[in-house]
Amino acid sequence: MTPAAYLRDKLGRFLFFLVSTAALAGFLLATGSAPGVVGLLLLCLLLIAAALVVVDFLTLRRRLDELNAIMDGLDQKYLFAECVPGPGSLLEKQYLALLKRSYKSMIERVSGLEESGREYREYIEQWVHEIKAPITVVRLACENEKNDFTRKILAQLERIEGHVERSLYYARSGNVENDFLIRETPLGEVVDGVIARNRQLLIQSGARIETENLGVAVYADGKWLDFILTQLLVNSAKYRSAAPVIEIGARAEGEDTVLCVRDNGIGIAPDELPRIFEKGFTGTNGRSLGSSTGIGLYLCRKLCARLGLAIAARSRQGEFTEIALRFPGAARGSDSYETVRRR
Amino acid sequence: MVLTKRIMIVEDEPGIREELCLLLANAGYEAIAVGEFTAVAEQVAAAAPDLLLLDVELPGADGFALCAQIRRGSRVPILFVTGKSSPIDELKALSLGGDDFVSKPYNIPVLLARIASVLRRAGKGAGECVEAAGMRLDLSRSTLTTAAGNVELTRNESRILCCLMREPGKIVSRADFIEFLWDSQIYIDDNTLSVNINRLREKLSPLGLADVIRTRRGMGYSL
Repeated sequence: MTPAAYLRDKLGRFLFFLVSTAALAGFLLATGSAPGVVGLLLLCLLLIAAALVVVDFLTLRRRLDELNAIMDGLDQKYLFAECVPGPGSLLEKQYLALLKRSYKSMIERVSGLEESGREYREYIEQWVHEIKAPITVVRLACENEKNDFTRKILAQLERIEGHVERSLYYARSGNVENDFLIRETPLGEVVDGVIARNRQLLIQSGARIETENLGVAVYADGKWLDFILTQLLVNSAKYRSAAPVIEIGARAEGEDTVLCVRDNGIGIAPDELPRIFEKGFTGTNGRSLGSSTGIGLYLCRKLCARLGLAIAARSRQGEFTEIALRFPGAARGSDSYETVRRR
Repeated sequence: MVLTKRIMIVEDEPGIREELCLLLANAGYEAIAVGEFTAVAEQVAAAAPDLLLLDVELPGADGFALCAQIRRGSRVPILFVTGKSSPIDELKALSLGGDDFVSKPYNIPVLLARIASVLRRAGKGAGECVEAAGMRLDLSRSTLTTAAGNVELTRNESRILCCLMREPGKIVSRADFIEFLWDSQIYIDDNTLSVNINRLREKLSPLGLADVIRTRRGMGYSL
């Protein structure tokens, strides 16, 4: 608060004071007081008034500085009203009471929204859990009656499952609770699981998959990694070339392990490449093929961030797309997987 | 012929129960299902299965309680199947004496592989050899033995032959082949399948088995 601002704020009062002082002087002169006495009286009055103004200004400024310092020091700014040291002036007390009422109503609203958000999330999780039973029945029925027709149904069922899983992870991704468990996870098992779950989609896209050096284990949550890899594989199958080949391989890079999913698909335009992990970004490919929501890769990046993994993309249009996942910590051989492989 | 393994299914959703029974029967197991969810432990003891497929969410006592109850009197291998898939559930299942854990909607090849692996660990698995048309295929060593001699096969070739030898005479379509190979973690496409079958035929011809794999035009292949 500057003195000028203070003076402007109090301008009305000063004018009123000056006018009434002038009127008093006029009255005294008219009733025959000596001009010297009147002059002395006016001087005294003005000095007292000026002193009062200066003291008032300083007190006010100190209080405001104090309040500003409190506000700046607060981590949660909305707690301000609770932190103001009392007791202030009557007006200040009234203001504070109003502030607290407004704050309380806002808190109620926010917690109401939080509650409904939580309930909605719980409902989604419950729903996902319930929809899995009928999906399982249809899947089993189709497996038991294998022909070209049920294979088509199975491929679509895999898409349905993909959507269901995405909605579950979307509901969970903003959750503060940690429902993942980082532990030694054999990469090969996760990759085989993902391929098996999307078998019909991948086979029907005509793809060949080459796996390389997957007999290693990384520190990650198996289910989340499964989800991320599913998005990558489904994308590779979707944006494929005429003779699709998908390569999945792991390699050590310094202290880290890098898992690459590389396809020989249609690729991504250079100007769109930096944006593919953005929420809702579909790009030219997504628009020309349709059925792209811009959610899959966005969730991948979000989950990676929470798992402590780095995710990066390289691509050349018409040639390849490669997504690399970087796991911190050196890879460990996973014996069990290699034994399974050899059999 | 190995004795058929008996698998008991404890699952409350009737649709899944029926289809699972059919699936296991098709996979060569004897499947029995629990229909009444009272005194399940006693039913298990009476049926004496080689493996138990146990759902976690059941009316009355849940699968975890049931597992603990069964474990008191039996060492039957238990494979948990559940719609919930949190790490805590998995940990609970394994610490209560379960042998493995599969989450819904299970992927059928994975489920069958887990069943086979649990049975194998329990020492109840089927042998790893297939015999048909005068040939004996050792899957663990990828070698084929006939009266005329031995031949080493690659993993892909041995899987292709195995697929044909399981049911001699039956026509196996290209789609069946590819699915079977994918289930064995060999992710090939249609062209690679043709290449592999031709190579397999070349390897078999010195043994006088050049024509053992017959092409059924428009349908697939058969022994």
